[in-house]
Amino acid sequence: MRGTRAILAAALLTGLPVAAHSQGTHAPGDAFLYIIWPPDGTTVKGPFWCRFGLRGMGVTQAGSSAPNSGHHHLLIDVNDPIDPNEPIPQDKTHLHFGAGQTEARIDLPPGKHTLQLVLGDAKHYPFNPPLISKKITIMVK
Amino acid sequence: MDRSARPTASERPLCVAALFECFARGRAVTRSEVDGGEKSFTAVHYRIEEPIVRPLFIADKETHFGGQGDAFCPFWKFIVAAGRFLDLPMSDADRTRGPIHSIRGGRDGPPPPEGPMRRLAAILAADISGYSRLMQLDEEGTHARVTRHRRELIEPNLAEYHGKLITYTGDGFLAMFDSPVEAVRCAIVIQQSMVGRNASLPRDQWILYRIGINLGDVVVVAPSEVYGDGLNIAVRLEGIADPGDVYVSGGVYEQIKNKLVCAYQSLGDRQVKNITDPVSVYRVLPDPAALSQARKKRWPVALLAVLVACNIAIFGGLYFLLQQRQTPNQAPTVAARTESPAVTANTPPPLPTPAPAQEPEEKPKGGSPASAPAQAPQESAKESTKESTNESAASAPVTTPIPAQLAPDMVSIPGGAFSMGSDDDPSEKPIHRVTIKSFAISKFPVTVREWNACVAAKGCSYPPTGKDDAPVTNLSWTDTQQFVEWLSKVTQKPFRLPTEAEWEYAARGGTKSKFWWGDQLQAAMANCKGCNEPYETSQPLNVGSFKPNPFGLYDMGGNIHQWVADCWHDNYQGAPSDGSVWVEHDCLSRVIRSGSWKNDPSYVRPSNRDHYDATVRYPTHGLRVAYSQ
Repeated sequence: MRGTRAILAAALLTGLPVAAHSQGTHAPGDAFLYIIWPPDGTTVKGPFWCRFGLRGMGVTQAGSSAPNSGHHHLLIDVNDPIDPNEPIPQDKTHLHFGAGQTEARIDLPPGKHTLQLVLGDAKHYPFNPPLISKKITIMVK
Repeated sequence: MDRSARPTASERPLCVAALFECFARGRAVTRSEVDGGEKSFTAVHYRIEEPIVRPLFIADKETHFGGQGDAFCPFWKFIVAAGRFLDLPMSDADRTRGPIHSIRGGRDGPPPPEGPMRRLAAILAADISGYSRLMQLDEEGTHARVTRHRRELIEPNLAEYHGKLITYTGDGFLAMFDSPVEAVRCAIVIQQSMVGRNASLPRDQWILYRIGINLGDVVVVAPSEVYGDGLNIAVRLEGIADPGDVYVSGGVYEQIKNKLVCAYQSLGDRQVKNITDPVSVYRVLPDPAALSQARKKRWPVALLAVLVACNIAIFGGLYFLLQQRQTPNQAPTVAARTESPAVTANTPPPLPTPAPAQEPEEKPKGGSPASAPAQAPQESAKESTKESTNESAASAPVTTPIPAQLAPDMVSIPGGAFSMGSDDDPSEKPIHRVTIKSFAISKFPVTVREWNACVAAKGCSYPPTGKDDAPVTNLSWTDTQQFVEWLSKVTQKPFRLPTEAEWEYAARGGTKSKFWWGDQLQAAMANCKGCNEPYETSQPLNVGSFKPNPFGLYDMGGNIHQWVADCWHDNYQGAPSDGSVWVEHDCLSRVIRSGSWKNDPSYVRPSNRDHYDATVRYPTHGLRVAYSQ
């Protein structure tokens, strides 16, 4: 009886996040999203190329529902968490790369900034589980 | 001879390069200007067809390097020996520009490569898609155009990117490059130029190249005789490429991926005809940055741009002065303004199920209002319409007029001058004076109902979602072009997207403040995140839910983003001052205005601007339409 309860509890616990992420397309468990350049803590001078890294999945254009592939979104100085049930916002701090770009020229005002990547599916929703890179901090001179 | 003097970093490549030009390549027609530290000389210019060489190496070594040639370049001894054998002049800078000696004169000198030579090369194969169809349509015209492309486009670009033409095929050409990067650059420039050349022509007359590039070992028998697997694969890649596209092999991709700022779409491993191993194929999607770099070198374009800019400056200045004199403070008035909402249609629009027109070739069905059999056969050339993004769906001509209530209600905007931009965001600077000619713009953003009429007539391929009076959303800029093209056909009016300047002029409604109603945010003026309570997050509100601006236009700020005609530019440096559309001949990123219901109040400002990939759909992006009067 206790065993059954434990299984039920486990099922509930594991089931809940799945229910919460019902919008997103499934992503393989070993997929990994990261920023190739600049490295965390870098100081850059003026505009720079930010390069996007993705392992275990492919980059495609927005609108393409090719399996195991998505497109990049670069979040600049964003502190709000990503809502898994909403399309990734589109504004001046959420840059979209729906044409399948894997790098971008970024021009930021001097000061400290954070960069973070989020992979979006064909309809710009985060994947399930969400594919979000480590948030890095850079200094712009 | 002081042998201890080592070449400096800038000098050593000079002698190696000189040697390379002379003996190793032996085929290039090159003119180079080399800077050898404080001494510079212009030389290496020879051609194998007339086997001559200007023996400047030796002369310069002797006269310019003060006899330190051995130290500068380990090959000098060899060159000196060869030069002596050939009886080349050894000094006197003047003489070196005069006499020309045959390098083939001495058979014992460094022999020119004879017989077949193997080499690694990037092979570019290109052909025109649907060439036979084009020839069938207009033999002489097509031939004249193709010849002109060769002269004006292909040959100059091959020269610019250091490519060598192997041969012209019936409808295409083969070229060889030393560098895959240059090969791909050349291909992109050719494709982009073709887009520009095609723009003014009807769809069925477009000349679209398919280009394949492979890096491989080939046998070079003569400049026009190249054989090998490497070449065959390039031809096969070209064969599977879509019209207007550049496909590269995995080998090329490896070389260019970190050097060319393009987007690359992997198409996986493809089995190509008569080649045993599958070839990994990548599609190159040029990025604006890469294009602008490539274009920087193209002086004819630059010259044209300068001429155009001068004209604009002169005429714009004159016009502005006149305008200033005649109408010092022209208060914008609204003509043809009706207060009743435009979309008052009580009869539901005749909507067959909104079938996505993904098969452009599909003939309109019997009951459909769209029927124009006369021109349909011309469109049946599958290869040229396959996967083409823009006009494919709209290309079936539709002439049946749409019910009046489905045409957008237009407001006529008088011409005038205004200060465009603001100091609130770097992208909105510098503030600049723009003169606008009178035009008409739709009173509301285009609604789902209006868009559905286009879908029903097979003019638009995107089936929208949402209520009839909601603004149509989730559109790419490309989608909007289908709508304006269809609308122009059915109304016989030159509908288009507003230009960015027109949009801001219309949105300001004659005001200069931060928002059209003043400098402070006010409730119930626009739909944005933080503008009103309660806030509906999931979808935009129906058009016309808030007050119109002084020009009688609704939703000019907030609710939905609106595509405009212009290409994106990071700021207004170099922006036109006559309100015209600011475009390069093909840009990936276009301007969106207005901000959406999901953006904060700063996006509602009339001067706010943002951009998005033109081919990509996003749930907050819609449009409004305009035409010149």
